[in-house]
Amino acid sequence: MPRSTLATKVVVVLSLLLLLGVWHIGSLVLDAQVILPTPSKTFSAFITLLQYKPLSVNLLTTVGRALKSFLIIVTVGSVLGIIAGYKPLFSAALQPLLVMCKAIPVMSIILLAFIWFSSGTVPLFSAFLMGFPVMFVQVEEGVRLISEDLSEMSHMYHFSQKDRIMHLIIPSLTPSLITGAKASLSMVWKVVIAAEVLTVPRYGVGSRMQLAQINLETAEVLAWTLIAILLTALGDVLFIAMLQLPKRFRELKTKHFERVHGHS
Amino acid sequence: MVIHNLSKHYMVDGESLMVLSDFSLEVEQDAITALVGPSGCGKTTLLRLIGGLESIDSGYIELNDQEKGPMSYLFQEPRLLPWDSVLTNVELVLRESIPTKKERIQRAMEFISLVGLEEYASFKPDQLSGGMRQRVAIARAFAFPAKIMLLDEPFQSLDSLLRWSLVQAFITLWEKNKRTVLYITHDVQEAFLMADRVVKLSHRPMRVLKEYPIMMSRSERSLRDPQFAELFSQFYQ
Repeated sequence: MPRSTLATKVVVVLSLLLLLGVWHIGSLVLDAQVILPTPSKTFSAFITLLQYKPLSVNLLTTVGRALKSFLIIVTVGSVLGIIAGYKPLFSAALQPLLVMCKAIPVMSIILLAFIWFSSGTVPLFSAFLMGFPVMFVQVEEGVRLISEDLSEMSHMYHFSQKDRIMHLIIPSLTPSLITGAKASLSMVWKVVIAAEVLTVPRYGVGSRMQLAQINLETAEVLAWTLIAILLTALGDVLFIAMLQLPKRFRELKTKHFERVHGHS
Repeated sequence: MVIHNLSKHYMVDGESLMVLSDFSLEVEQDAITALVGPSGCGKTTLLRLIGGLESIDSGYIELNDQEKGPMSYLFQEPRLLPWDSVLTNVELVLRESIPTKKERIQRAMEFISLVGLEEYASFKPDQLSGGMRQRVAIARAFAFPAKIMLLDEPFQSLDSLLRWSLVQAFITLWEKNKRTVLYITHDVQEAFLMADRVVKLSHRPMRVLKEYPIMMSRSERSLRDPQFAELFSQFYQ
């Protein structure tokens, strides 16, 4: 990622303004609010949505589904990924499932899942099938990258199983866990909303989008899309903030150590 | 420690490569034995077999009752946990032998001070220089309650001045805390300055060519001392 200087910030803002300008001119040229409403129309639809009562229910239901599938993906993906990293046979046994998950179009997973499950479960199931391989592959690869040298050292110096996990395996896997979690998180939002659009459960951002589309409320579809984008962005921001926590904690601990041992 | 008829082969590209065959050696207890031999002669393999890092094809290693137990291993690289502090790196190897945390930290700090790094106890390995990292590895090897220490050219990657200060640090720690040390190197001078006995090894298959017991105390040894120089020059004959 480029370093955030004043120049890059200006370019980003200008590019955003350009996009909005193209959008605005496009909608003026088309002159049909049903096909492409103006940005200001979309924005006022967005404001209306924010004042609209069931917003929080729809939002919270979607966020809940996304978080639930995210947690399931991270847990199952890490555990199975670690096992697969250490046991090649287990990894081989999971290969067909992984290849299948990667090859099947999202929409067929959602449609099939809708035949099998209730509409509330479909987003969870589909998100899991889409996100799990991403997490799994990252963690499995992470296990392969654990330093052979450090492993040997930990055996030589009789590390307990607990210390080996806490001081060797988890710290070594952290970068892979973060990459996998981040990639599956952004995927989860998209799949959950797509599944909601197709299956229309009672509440959910996707259900609202679908209803707005049926009613040809294009501005509202765009407003819900804006909400989906904001959700993804907020998810990313919270995720990064969460990652900073242990670092902050360590810094505090180091400061404490230095106070106690009189090192400045 | 007595090594009896040790053999080990590796499979390389489908072909069997005999690295050690029927190698025997007696290693004196609580003394430093240096094994000097050309690179690729099988020294490291021997050390790895003794340390239990590789399985033995045939032969065995006999330890007396005082030598049985865990072993320390000083690798060519420091092999420190990069995400843990100097203190934690040393403290971790004491977890099995000292159950109380306070005592453990105290003991770890003692060894860290002995290698002159007490000010750096809270630092991470990547904040230290290469020589400092190897000092931490030395502190860790001595902190571990091992009866036998295996050294696989741990000073090799450092420049000569730094290297000498680390050898000194090692000797100081060892004098306070004697154990059986088996030390492999291809630096003859270092071996003669450090060891109680220097063993000259041949090319593969590795054999003991000659043994040089050194009776002089370590503080008297100097390359300028004629007696020591004589001993040292014998090695090349």
